[in-house]
Amino acid sequence: MFGVNFGLIFSTQDSFYKTLSPEEHHRAHANDYDFDCPDSIDFDLLVHTLRDLKKGKKANIPVYSFADHQRQPQTTTLYSPRVIILEGILALHDPRIVEMLDVKIFVEADMDVCLGRRILRDVRERGRDIEGIVKQWFDYVKPSYTRFVEPQRSISGSCHPLLTLHRLNLTLTFQISLFRVVFKTGPLSVDMVVKHIQRKLQEKSENHTEELHRLGLIAAKVDLPDNVHVLPSTPQFVGMNTILQNPKSDQEDFVFYFDRLASILIERALDMTSYISTKVETPQGNEYLGLHPTGAVSAVAILRGGSCLETALKRSIPDCITGRMLIQTNESNEEPELHYLKLPSQIEEHSTVILMDSQMSSGSAALMAVRVLLDHGVAQERIVFVTCAAGERGLKRLVAVFSKINVIVGRIEEEGEPRWIEKRYFGC
Amino acid sequence: MASKPESAPSPAQGVGPLYRPDGEKPTATVSKEVSFDNVHVLPQTPQLIALLTMIRDKRTSRADFIFYSNRIIRLLVEEGLNHLPVVEQSVTTPVGTAYLGVKFEGKICGVSIMRAGEAMEQGLRDCCRSVRIGKILIQRDEETCMPKLFYDKLPTDIAERWVLLLDPMFATGGSATLAVEVLKERGVPEHRILFLNLIASPSGVAEFAERFPKLRVVTSFIDQGLDEKK
Repeated sequence: MFGVNFGLIFSTQDSFYKTLSPEEHHRAHANDYDFDCPDSIDFDLLVHTLRDLKKGKKANIPVYSFADHQRQPQTTTLYSPRVIILEGILALHDPRIVEMLDVKIFVEADMDVCLGRRILRDVRERGRDIEGIVKQWFDYVKPSYTRFVEPQRSISGSCHPLLTLHRLNLTLTFQISLFRVVFKTGPLSVDMVVKHIQRKLQEKSENHTEELHRLGLIAAKVDLPDNVHVLPSTPQFVGMNTILQNPKSDQEDFVFYFDRLASILIERALDMTSYISTKVETPQGNEYLGLHPTGAVSAVAILRGGSCLETALKRSIPDCITGRMLIQTNESNEEPELHYLKLPSQIEEHSTVILMDSQMSSGSAALMAVRVLLDHGVAQERIVFVTCAAGERGLKRLVAVFSKINVIVGRIEEEGEPRWIEKRYFGC
Repeated sequence: MASKPESAPSPAQGVGPLYRPDGEKPTATVSKEVSFDNVHVLPQTPQLIALLTMIRDKRTSRADFIFYSNRIIRLLVEEGLNHLPVVEQSVTTPVGTAYLGVKFEGKICGVSIMRAGEAMEQGLRDCCRSVRIGKILIQRDEETCMPKLFYDKLPTDIAERWVLLLDPMFATGGSATLAVEVLKERGVPEHRILFLNLIASPSGVAEFAERFPKLRVVTSFIDQGLDEKK
């Protein structure tokens, strides 16, 4: 029912092992260090990371090397997923984490199976010898299981004796299609889990819609603020809009008039960039006090709609650095999902970032896009959001949340208008 | 204190969005205001001033000059086209709702005053595909020092069209005045002529506007110090 969804990340507790001291490091290599004890895991960092991810912020996940028992200098950046799967044998150990989880699953396997799998894995993947593995098992792994892992059973929401990897439990906030791939097991228990997860996602989605609705109601009571610039309805502008909205206009006309209209929007957006006074000498030798743009202007297209505006953008700034982000609104629940992100380097230093989309209805994609820019250090004042058509409620919602951004709008559209401009522009 | 030259300079003021306080806007010399109903000066936005600064700067390369003047010309054409008539037209949008819009009415053509006006043709074509463009060559007669018509080539049905007359620099207005006379002779009514111009002198534009009260002038900047010989 959710279709293909990339808004899912899989995070493992293993990334959060603490870096070992030289002495511990030595013990670890002698298989004399307890990796299954909660002390070996940096729960504070894990909690912090999960909190950020839950808030929709980006998070840097540490990279842990099992060969060196060291946290690596580089990190993996994760961005605003719709679903987070956290897995690890001690994933349910810390109550702060348990509180954040929407769905908790404890996966159990027979201890013999666990040992067998562990031996195979550690020999094949981690270059250990069998004596060491067995020593570790009886000295640390098994006692830790009894002491720390098994008690987690009682707090998890559902318990299923699923045969999986050696891993003993798995905690998740989850998405259905992948679940089926991961667990190939008896249909009954999986069905129960699936239903539970579906319900949780549905609830989340309803809350989200409700929240948007609430924001919209607050916003509906106020007029559009000064930082929203709706282009004046001049005869030419309305005329172009008429051609664009007439299904009988042919494709060639549509593209031509769209580019022309978008050029006006882009020129307007450039009024919002920063300028300084400058004196120049004219060819006649007179002095003129004019303006010069300061700092770099870059653009970010919200795909696919935003790329319709690129022709117009390049007409005014032929060498404009242009980033991309693919945000798709999930049609079943209207939630935006970030699927791809490529931003210009040092975007936080640019004097203006023009964020482009062809249309904006509820504003959820725009809200997400602005959030992404802010997370990358772009100040609100420097963001100019440009769109050819926008719903009034969505607009008010956007500027209620981000009051300092500038918004350039071509036309106020009907509430809930579906995205059709990009289809028409690209012809598919 | 050095005394200022006689002619008052064009006003300098903070340029930027209205909501921004004056102290936060950079200062620049903006267009002089004139009080003729038929003279329309583009809004003096920071963006426009920056474009004008580029084309005025003698250090600007030819390629940049062309690029930046084209951008201003497009703004001029967009403003100019707004003076053309439209008729109401209702369409059903792709999403099935009714939209009360307008339809462009009336045929247009461009007429450039050679040579300078030809530089504005590309900007016109950017906004109006396959627009017809006529030409008028006017040169100063060496003996009389008066502008003289050397050549013209205009669409045969020009009398039925709206004419966008193109000339980027407007000083005394001698050539433009003669060009308008030519158009009127060909049967184009004065009210269907739009004169598109980048930089104009205040005295020239005043005389022109009074002489042809029904013609409309759209310019991006009126300044004080435009040299008569450019």
